[in-house]
Amino acid sequence: MHNARNAMEVESSSTCALREFGCEQSLLSRPDGSSSFIQGDTSVLAGVYGPADVKVSKEIHDRATLEVLIQPKVGMSGVRERAQEQCVRETCEAALLSSLHPRSSLSLVLQIIHDDGSLLSCCLNAACMALMDAGLPMGCLFCGVTCAIDRDGRIVTDPTMQQEKESRALMTFAIDSTERKVLMSTTKGSFSVNELQQCIAVSQRASEKIFQFYRDSVRRRYSKTL
Amino acid sequence: MFDSFKHKVGEVVLPGDVFSFASLAPDSRVEKLICGPGLRRNGDEVLVCKSGVLRHKPPNLFWVDSQQRRYVPAKGESVIGIVTTKVGDTFKVDVGGSEQASLSYLAFEGATKRNRPNVQVGDLVYAQFIIANKDMEPELVCIDSCGRANGMGVFGTDGLLFRVSLGLVRRLLVPQSEIVKDLERLFPFEMVVGMNGRVWVRARTTQQTLIVANLLESCENMTAEQRKALFLRVAGGCP
Amino acid sequence: MAAGFKTAEPLEYHRSFLKENCRPDGRELGEFRATTLNIGSISTADGSALVKIGNTTVICGIKAELATPPTDAPNKGYIVPNVDLPPLCSSRFRPGPPGEQAQAASQFIADLIDSANIIQREDLCIESGKLSWVLYCDIMCLDYDGNLLDACVIALLAALENAQLPEVTINKETELAEVNPQKLHPLNVTKHPVGSSFAVFDNTIVIVDPTAEEESLSTATITVVTDEDERLCALHKPGGSGLSAEKLQDCISRAVTRHREVRKLIEEVLKSIKPQQ
Repeated sequence: MHNARNAMEVESSSTCALREFGCEQSLLSRPDGSSSFIQGDTSVLAGVYGPADVKVSKEIHDRATLEVLIQPKVGMSGVRERAQEQCVRETCEAALLSSLHPRSSLSLVLQIIHDDGSLLSCCLNAACMALMDAGLPMGCLFCGVTCAIDRDGRIVTDPTMQQEKESRALMTFAIDSTERKVLMSTTKGSFSVNELQQCIAVSQRASEKIFQFYRDSVRRRYSKTL
Repeated sequence: MFDSFKHKVGEVVLPGDVFSFASLAPDSRVEKLICGPGLRRNGDEVLVCKSGVLRHKPPNLFWVDSQQRRYVPAKGESVIGIVTTKVGDTFKVDVGGSEQASLSYLAFEGATKRNRPNVQVGDLVYAQFIIANKDMEPELVCIDSCGRANGMGVFGTDGLLFRVSLGLVRRLLVPQSEIVKDLERLFPFEMVVGMNGRVWVRARTTQQTLIVANLLESCENMTAEQRKALFLRVAGGCP
Repeated sequence: MAAGFKTAEPLEYHRSFLKENCRPDGRELGEFRATTLNIGSISTADGSALVKIGNTTVICGIKAELATPPTDAPNKGYIVPNVDLPPLCSSRFRPGPPGEQAQAASQFIADLIDSANIIQREDLCIESGKLSWVLYCDIMCLDYDGNLLDACVIALLAALENAQLPEVTINKETELAEVNPQKLHPLNVTKHPVGSSFAVFDNTIVIVDPTAEEESLSTATITVVTDEDERLCALHKPGGSGLSAEKLQDCISRAVTRHREVRKLIEEVLKSIKPQQ
């Protein structure tokens, strides 16, 4: 087992303040790649299996079949999880070079440990770290950023559950690492076009910090073999 | 020449990192660049697609050293496989990849249509890939290009098979591997190392076999000093 | 020849059309398919609508029932949307429990009802803490040819505008609800969101209103929902290739004009059925 846990503290005065982040890779022994990602009190554990044998019914002749499962902290996964799975899966598909492993299956399991807001972005971050740990070929990295617009019109990045509840609109974006484009977007509440553009800009700025955090985590992981 | 690239050697790279050679004049690009695992060539750019440490072997070979666990077959690599079924004239061999590899009964030293090799389901084979690409079923052989076994074939009636990370396997397989040298000093043992992360060990007693296996597994995340200290302790405690 | 090309190289086939700024069905890149609307098609439902966007056919029925309001919000009613993709509508859907796409669409519609505030849930309350309406909005796809979400949103909105609920009073003496089916009231639809879907080809070319084939060949799909105040109610992009800010802005402006077109259509159809009542 290898420990790459570290913390990232960002000055809270800037507009894209993030909570304290933590990440550990390769912490599970069975999966081919695993990670745990912590954003403040929100925590998600991810495991990746593959490239492995695929069921004939799910086989795709020119690329790998990706399956994403999100397990909630309590109870069965329902419609909400299914919608989140779709978002995570299609984001991963955009980043992975799945044509390099045709006719094989990749499965990504995300176990929610604790939800204190920004859950989907934490799932995306955990997924990216787990895919990287599994050594699957990727064209770029991605990260998830959640933005909340509060009653006064201020943008809060990486909101807690309380801040999410008090917000008037909530948006989650997945940003890619090469061009900082929006890979995934899902929103709640209504907002103006201008607010949307601001949130995207803030998320893009926040993504820089997250990608730097990714790099530091991976560097720490490989520190012994450098 | 590859200055932008070379000064990154030994550093951690992440998927999506791009090294561009477009700024160089076309005629000065005489040196050819060979991209190993984890790197992809795209016109004048080299794209990193795996996380790990960038390595360089003079004059122009670059690759990413990553700690991957799942094996992906590659042509020419020697692996330890487990025979799972016999289908007609071929054996299906599990090598830990996404698909089972096939192994013809004629691909053994001295095998002919009359003189079939003695291979049973469940046997371990040390074999080499002659076909391994993403579009075809991987195929193994237990002979080299001259038809000699050259160490390959069925092995391991007893002993212990276990899995380690692909990174550790590569460290074991480098010529003059430090780890192997240190281990050899403890007591004599036989070892087969497959590129697919499988290691088979046999020593004089079961206890010694287990010691070797446990030591190898613990080497995974140790620095050279930590390892040396551990081996010294074991050497002291061993009869 | 063309049919063989289409089967062998579907992506190349579409690309050759897109290069000429048109699409295999003769549309321009920014053109929607003909949208038709039929309101009140199910006589047994409290409100219903049938929408066709090209071949895609979606029907929405609204059934109202009485229930006790939720304990944490005693002055609110319930809206329960559900999107069904039966095997009838396309060979890609299998019988059995709803698949990922159907569940994701249901969640999208449920989120949209909350985000856009189509109906104030307080309006569904009859007596605080005692009685409120539950609106079951069942959306069923009869023919799947892409752009499901747009069709669902239009069908839902039209069905809600069509819905008529009987007057309910609580008898003070018996404490029982009394329904008066003679007195029907329409629902108070406060916001009118309309969605526009786009597909991205080869990470760059954006087309509107993709067919099922275009959806499966595209690298990403986006659904933008706007309301009459030109505010965004949803920007749903489940993944796929990245999109630059300019392209996104184009999508939003196209969604705003589409909103006007669809609003006009719904109002016209509503007006045309009024005299019969």
